[in-house]
Amino acid sequence: MIKSLLSWSALSLYTAASIAALYYLLTKNERASRLMLTFVGCGLVLQFMSFGIHLAAFWAYPENRWFLPINNFFGALSYMGFALAAAFFTIEVRRRLGILGAFVLPMAALSLGLAVILADPELAPLAPKLRSYWLNIHPMVLMTSYAAFTNAFGVALALLIQERQIKSRKPTELCYRLPSLDELDALNGRLISITLPILVLGLVMGSVWAYQSTGRAWSWDAKETMSLITAGFYAEFLWLRYVSGKRGRIPVYVSMAGFACMLLTFFGAELCSGRHDFLGGK
Amino acid sequence: MKLLSLSWTHRDRVCAARETLAGVPVERVLADLKGRGFAEAVAVSTCNRFELYVAAQANQALAAAPILAALEELAGAALAAQADVREDDAAVDHLFCVAAGLDSLVVGETEILGQVKAGYETAKGAGMTGKRLNVLFQRALFVGKKVRTETALASGSLSVPSVAVQLAETIFGRLEGKSALILGAGAMAELAAKHLAAKGVSKLVVANRTWERAYQLAARYQGEAVKWETFPAELERADVVISSTGAPTAVLTHEIVKAAVRRRGGRSLFMIDIAMPRDIEESVHAIDGVYLYRLEDLEAIVAKNMASRAEAVAAARRIVDAKAAEFVAWARSLSTGRELSLKHSEYQA
Repeated sequence: MIKSLLSWSALSLYTAASIAALYYLLTKNERASRLMLTFVGCGLVLQFMSFGIHLAAFWAYPENRWFLPINNFFGALSYMGFALAAAFFTIEVRRRLGILGAFVLPMAALSLGLAVILADPELAPLAPKLRSYWLNIHPMVLMTSYAAFTNAFGVALALLIQERQIKSRKPTELCYRLPSLDELDALNGRLISITLPILVLGLVMGSVWAYQSTGRAWSWDAKETMSLITAGFYAEFLWLRYVSGKRGRIPVYVSMAGFACMLLTFFGAELCSGRHDFLGGK
Repeated sequence: MKLLSLSWTHRDRVCAARETLAGVPVERVLADLKGRGFAEAVAVSTCNRFELYVAAQANQALAAAPILAALEELAGAALAAQADVREDDAAVDHLFCVAAGLDSLVVGETEILGQVKAGYETAKGAGMTGKRLNVLFQRALFVGKKVRTETALASGSLSVPSVAVQLAETIFGRLEGKSALILGAGAMAELAAKHLAAKGVSKLVVANRTWERAYQLAARYQGEAVKWETFPAELERADVVISSTGAPTAVLTHEIVKAAVRRRGGRSLFMIDIAMPRDIEESVHAIDGVYLYRLEDLEAIVAKNMASRAEAVAAARRIVDAKAAEFVAWARSLSTGRELSLKHSEYQA
């Protein structure tokens, strides 16, 4: 009861923060930006508390003790929302790019919203095949990389808008409010170049876990294949951007294709995945 | 409430009075008024403005004549003829306008806010402010800040070179450490060089068909002159290119720019063509990471900024009017014994 109250409050705060961020982007009203930060901060605290309660209930099953409740959509999505908002807080705000909140915070709200409204926060003993210390590492590492990629996607959106503004030769007010093209480009590039190794690390850990439990490191199920394609797109982005020195929209489009694949990996592959079906709550 | 404002501003045709007043230290004015029995007064003195605000209790008489006489005695010159005298509501409105930059010579300049603050702090330090003037000036500073952050009054450049610099900043962020290549050494090129140097562009390279003139222009802005033939090589290193040669055909062709871009490692290139006929081929704009603006593009942005400036003035005016009315209502409520809350209103709108 308290837990869902806390989750709902956190969701409302993230939504309010997204609205404040949008208002800040459109009007540059400083009070809206302060409101946005307050909402995000409070939302993070509430979500953390709600996580604590969820964890206590999850650990009430002795066989679940010390495992993180990230075994289903509810756990994964709420962690995504939390990590997204936290990453926004630590990366963009610290670089004085809080104005990007309008692009990042709605995704945090959406992620937590899906968890709270649609996903089933079922509490049950973990399936025996999941009872491994890898459960605390492999999905967490991947979810963290997803949250960082989602942040990068928000930055890439702003980058596309800014690039379009400048190319159009008719810049609007928005153009002067957004961070400069070079700043956005550097942030997008840096986020992806830091996050791709994390994604790859998560995949390697997954295959080690699989090898230990089933003897096969890689089985080409839908989720695994999709995640490999995701990594491929991001690697292609880094290649275009840093090795062949391409600028403008094309590398950004490639990084966005990577993001689309990431979403497919996360949501779509559930439907037809053999080894990773447990996230669906089965 | 009784409030009186006396002002001498840039609107006066004769500036003798303003100049004389600028020479009188604010502290002396306040001390003199205190000696004459005025309990609350704030003076704001800048190089093209002198403002004096005097408040009195409701049962006290307050007239401009004795204050003017005191000022004339201090300054040793006739001042009354040029003084704008405002009372009560009009004085409040005027102060808010001043703080918002609406009354400035350059409308929207933000320095005045600091000057109003300095004037208020001096008066406060001299013990010349009571409840009404304290609240009045705190509100004025609040209105000034509100106008600055919530309207476009202080943003939007109104000249071609400053628009160019602003665009460069939306591409590169800070211009420190960036380099500029200037093709041609005419008056327009010089103007551009001046603006870029003022913004901290660290390296200026000038190329001109006549070496002498390139050399002279470069020398004036601590830049570097290069031979005309070598400019395609310079294109590789420059971040901003400004071209204003008198060449009959384009000097920066698609091929030259494309070749340079390939060797730039993905850095953006901002090109400005202010020559007529054009120096830079239009198709260059289609290359990824290259942004070409022509003179008419910059002029169109200036025109748009001018138009939105008028809108911003109207928006600022609305804020000033609303906040002045609020303050007047508050000041009236003081004498009724049921003081209105001003703080609350800050969170509305």
